[in-house]
Amino acid sequence: MRWLVRLLGVVVLLLLAWRVAAVGLAEGYPASFWISQTLNGLVLGGVYALIALGYTLVYGILLMINFAHGDVMMIGGFTGFFALQLWIGVGWLDGSALWVVLALVLTVVAGMLGSVLAGITLERVAYRPLRGAPRLVPLISAIGASLFLQYSVLLIFGVTPRAYTRPALIEGGFRAGDVFVPYTGIIIFIVSLVLMLALYLIVQRSKLGRAMRAVAEDKSTAALMGINVDQVIVFTFILGSALAGAGGVLLGFHNTVVKFNSGFIPGLKAFTAAVLGGIGNIPGAMVGALLLGLIEALGPSALGIPTEYKDIIAFSVLVLILIFRPSGLLGEVLSEKKA
Amino acid sequence: MNRIGMLAARHGLRTGALAFVLLTYLTLIGLPGRLADLAMPVLAGVVAIFFWLVLRRSPQLGGIYGSLGGTALWAGLLAGGFYAVLTAFFVGLLANGVRVQLVFDKIVPQNLAALYAVMPGVLLSGELSPVGWLRQVGLLGLAGVVAALLVAGERRLRRRQLPSLAALRWLPLLLPFVLLAAVIGLGSPAVTFGGNNQGTIRLLLAMLAVGSGIFAARAARPGGGRRVLWALLAAALVGLPFLLDQFQNSVMGIVFIFVMMGLGLNIVVGFAGLLDLGYVAFFSIGAYVYAFLAAPFSSPWLIAQLQGWGLPVSGPLVSFWLALPLTMVVAGLGGVLLGVPVLRLRGDYLAIVTLGFGEIIRLFMLNLSELTNGPRGLLNIAPPTVGGYSLGNPRDIFLLALAGAALIALVANRMDGSRLGRAWVAMREDEDVAQATGIHLVYTKLMAFAIGALFAGLAGQLYAARQTNIFPENFSLFVSIDALSLVIVGGMGSIPGVVLGALALKGLPEVLRGVDEYRIITFAALLVIMMIVRPQGILPSLRRGRELQEQGGSRADQPSVLEALPDSAGESSLAKKER
Repeated sequence: MRWLVRLLGVVVLLLLAWRVAAVGLAEGYPASFWISQTLNGLVLGGVYALIALGYTLVYGILLMINFAHGDVMMIGGFTGFFALQLWIGVGWLDGSALWVVLALVLTVVAGMLGSVLAGITLERVAYRPLRGAPRLVPLISAIGASLFLQYSVLLIFGVTPRAYTRPALIEGGFRAGDVFVPYTGIIIFIVSLVLMLALYLIVQRSKLGRAMRAVAEDKSTAALMGINVDQVIVFTFILGSALAGAGGVLLGFHNTVVKFNSGFIPGLKAFTAAVLGGIGNIPGAMVGALLLGLIEALGPSALGIPTEYKDIIAFSVLVLILIFRPSGLLGEVLSEKKA
Repeated sequence: MNRIGMLAARHGLRTGALAFVLLTYLTLIGLPGRLADLAMPVLAGVVAIFFWLVLRRSPQLGGIYGSLGGTALWAGLLAGGFYAVLTAFFVGLLANGVRVQLVFDKIVPQNLAALYAVMPGVLLSGELSPVGWLRQVGLLGLAGVVAALLVAGERRLRRRQLPSLAALRWLPLLLPFVLLAAVIGLGSPAVTFGGNNQGTIRLLLAMLAVGSGIFAARAARPGGGRRVLWALLAAALVGLPFLLDQFQNSVMGIVFIFVMMGLGLNIVVGFAGLLDLGYVAFFSIGAYVYAFLAAPFSSPWLIAQLQGWGLPVSGPLVSFWLALPLTMVVAGLGGVLLGVPVLRLRGDYLAIVTLGFGEIIRLFMLNLSELTNGPRGLLNIAPPTVGGYSLGNPRDIFLLALAGAALIALVANRMDGSRLGRAWVAMREDEDVAQATGIHLVYTKLMAFAIGALFAGLAGQLYAARQTNIFPENFSLFVSIDALSLVIVGGMGSIPGVVLGALALKGLPEVLRGVDEYRIITFAALLVIMMIVRPQGILPSLRRGRELQEQGGSRADQPSVLEALPDSAGESSLAKKER
């Protein structure tokens, strides 16, 4: 059975390689096209990584898929939008560069705060009462919470998509040879890298991070060692939601709009990324997300299929990974014990 | 203030703050505007119920009525005060010409005016009298008092011995027939397309009759009487379509199509424990296969093919009945095909991959426009016919759905106890142990997927025949979520539960058409609350209910049926183990 699956995997890989060589490369796109697509992919991957980390953190500790994570991100996007409108109203975006940068930073922070609030509430209301229940129960609750968040936002803020205004400072970009590099792309990528680094330091170096890893290994033993498990779980949700909130704001700047269901597809993609890297594994989520961003950006042209099938590519990647390497590229590090 | 007073005050303030959040939420989603002049009393009622639910769970206040009343009053006044300030703030903004609607879609004069029971114009002119604000504080304070009285009364009642109700046990058996009589009494089947209140009430009564019929069928004791009761219930069910009008029948039709689908999913999720989030895939396969057969003229590719073979393209290729085995085979094959790759996956991973499959199939249907006509859909699908008589009207579709659901329920019921059914249960409890006891996992899993898919295909075919036009949007992820939720709400692995779940999740929203906007959030909130309060579902299968009871401990609200079960230690120790 196992060798058959491996054989099938090799066949699929060969088929893909053949398709890329025969169709994608034969199209004769210029090199600059591939480079700019790669850059797009990296930017998208950076945002996916921020969201994917939330899935991975929660899964690592609670062994549950936080189905509503994408919607937590969307709420961050909305909070960021309103913060941005506020700065515009105050006139900061017309001020000097320093004010604009400050406003942008505060927008991201506002998005993070909004998401954190949503994340904590979610944990308290929909997940904590269900701890220890069979695994299907929290998943259903998460699906309910996801719908609830989406349609509450729809009812409260209305159907019309909210358009992010990009300040003139970050509008545009520069040319490197034939390749156009937008400033927003660079900013998004740098911000996500900085946040990921911060997360990595928190998890690896801080006391709470150590507690998190202990709880992920074994909840009851961790509790016996004097760790307040409830607190650690809340902290995990705070970390994951904060990253998602930042991701929501960045995605808002990237797509220029947020609306009530704009968290759903990115959420699924980010989950795919987390699985791709090995869910429960923090570096895995980052690698998986960047890879997924690249696959999505390069895939349609490389395989010579219409871009409408972009989402199919992401889902197919998910399916293929789970069939051929269910533990993901880097494996489940945090939840090894429970696998 | 003494210590208990402090405790009461603190508890009260916290409860009040939560109530304020609840009120704010309800205002932001625009509920007051919908309730018009009744807004404030209804909100106060909601808050009273909320307080009651919170207070009855605070054991530290037990028996001390003084502190209980204090707590509730504190909570009510706090919520009322904050709420009055908040609404006054919004009113102030609106009166000064600030367009709050740019941020909060539902903060419009009409919505807020309902809170003060005045005309919207009064708000904008700023002529509002302070009496309105006092009314808010007063009503919410009153809500606190009412809640305290409720808790106190409930506690007092509980201490008293209630008279035994054993003599009245036959009463629930009568309920479905009483409800049915009410349906008949409420008027003749005139053609009304919803909207009128009497029709809605009839629909609700009809659904309640079906639901209570299921309870009655379950409550009846074994013996000759039970057979008679079941026969009567079946006769009533078959008679129901002839009592309802078109709109009511079409709602019941869709409910029972979802029952068919839910019964199939129940096999996959409830019996075999394979969490499938992409179940809509098989539903859509069934619908599309039938659509291709019955409306080939909608698909450009099929037209070309048929013309190539010199066949006529104007009418359906085969009849509904001939298509049945075909759809079943194709959907079943689809189940096996999608099942093979996920054989090795468990739990959450399986859920996500199946979700991916569901989306992939929908995206293909959307984008393969040569075959499926893309978003424009397949149109003019022929209804089933019998001897030249078309069965396309809502009543006949309802009858067909009833027959289909009954057939599937029968098959599923037989399967539950069969060798295969027991293998599913073993596999659900522990795959490794099941394999060690000689169960062929691959075969067992694939059978679950195939049979589940087959039933969904049937439901899909009937759905296509009912809709006459199908589009890829009809088969979104939400159909999967609906189906899964109705299985879970009804009680996993429980066949009557599926019917109840479908009535609650697909039927009730139709009755609530008037509050269409709030349909999904009500449903979503119910899903979460259900998982917290009663994870085993409305009518749990006996086995499932017991497992959840074991694990959920005191949290789960345990039905009395379960307590009568003999102890089975082996099963529960398996269930306790995480996968």
